[in-house]
Amino acid sequence: MLQTISYMLLTIVIFFFMTWLYKRTGISFLFPILTSTIVLLLILIFAKIPYDTYMQGGRVINFFLGPAVVGMAYPLYTQWDVIMRFKKTILSSVIVAMLAGMTSVIALGLLFQLDEQMLRSFLPKSITSPVAIQISDAIGGIPQMTVLFVIIAGITGAIGGPGIYRLLKIDTPVSKGVAMGSAAHGIGVSKLTEYGELTLSIGSVAMTLSAILGSFLCPVVIYLFF
Amino acid sequence: MRKLVKLLNITLQIAFLYVLSLLGGIIVEFLHVPLPGSIIGLIILLLLLHMKIVKKEYVADGAGFLLPILTLLFIPATVGVMNYPELLSWLGVSLLIITIISTIFSLGVTAKFAQKLEQTERQKEEVEVYAPND
Repeated sequence: MLQTISYMLLTIVIFFFMTWLYKRTGISFLFPILTSTIVLLLILIFAKIPYDTYMQGGRVINFFLGPAVVGMAYPLYTQWDVIMRFKKTILSSVIVAMLAGMTSVIALGLLFQLDEQMLRSFLPKSITSPVAIQISDAIGGIPQMTVLFVIIAGITGAIGGPGIYRLLKIDTPVSKGVAMGSAAHGIGVSKLTEYGELTLSIGSVAMTLSAILGSFLCPVVIYLFF
Repeated sequence: MRKLVKLLNITLQIAFLYVLSLLGGIIVEFLHVPLPGSIIGLIILLLLLHMKIVKKEYVADGAGFLLPILTLLFIPATVGVMNYPELLSWLGVSLLIITIISTIFSLGVTAKFAQKLEQTERQKEEVEVYAPND
């Protein structure tokens, strides 16, 4: 019981400290998810605490993922009129992003001669972590690998996105939001604030839609390719 | 006292969201489909909101509590990579390269595609409600 509470608190305290540090310094590479994970990993490795022991507390935090995903229906509902206004662009772009992400990841994976389980773990990489973990589990991937890919994808989008937009002359608000939300989920979307309210809300809508569509599409792709 | 009511409210709403994710899980199990139960829960909630069976006030506080700390919620899962020390190798590097290239590719393709569509969709729109801000 004491262990459960202490591992829980440890995670929460580290997370809030890292969030504070990120906001304070404004350094792109200090994403709280990245720094919190690294700090926790170091603590566990140096104190020789096995993952299963840590998860006695971790499990409690993990528990809230399900309700949080269901809760994503709320912003989707409140932003329904924005979705309807650009429904064609949003829906088809989310599908394009998913296909582009999955085909490129399969092609690269084959090029690097990855095994099948790794390829499966790669498929949901553009989808927000809590959903990607579950998709990975459902399609025979390794959820811990998937969550790692998801985070790297998010950070790539957040850091590289503005440069890519300049390079490709992307200057319309919906396209910036929908591409980021469907290729780099929440971490990418958090970087959209500088482009204004519309881009930001399109981004979070695209993230949720790609989680929903991805849940259905990933098993289909697995069925077709493996 | 008001804080206590608010706290109780958040707890009840999270419990409600949890019940929906459980329900989603049961449906998935029953239908034998490889889908995340929570996504089914999300779809059910979205339908309930649209049909006005659930008022948005019934979930606003719970969702408003959980969504801003979403990142915290998946830290324990991320720490699970410690069970895969083989990542500190050429394999780890290639996985990193694959993820970065694929993400940039997908971001670029989607942005270009979306921009083309957005321009035509906006042109069709007679009454421009949202003024493009740049």
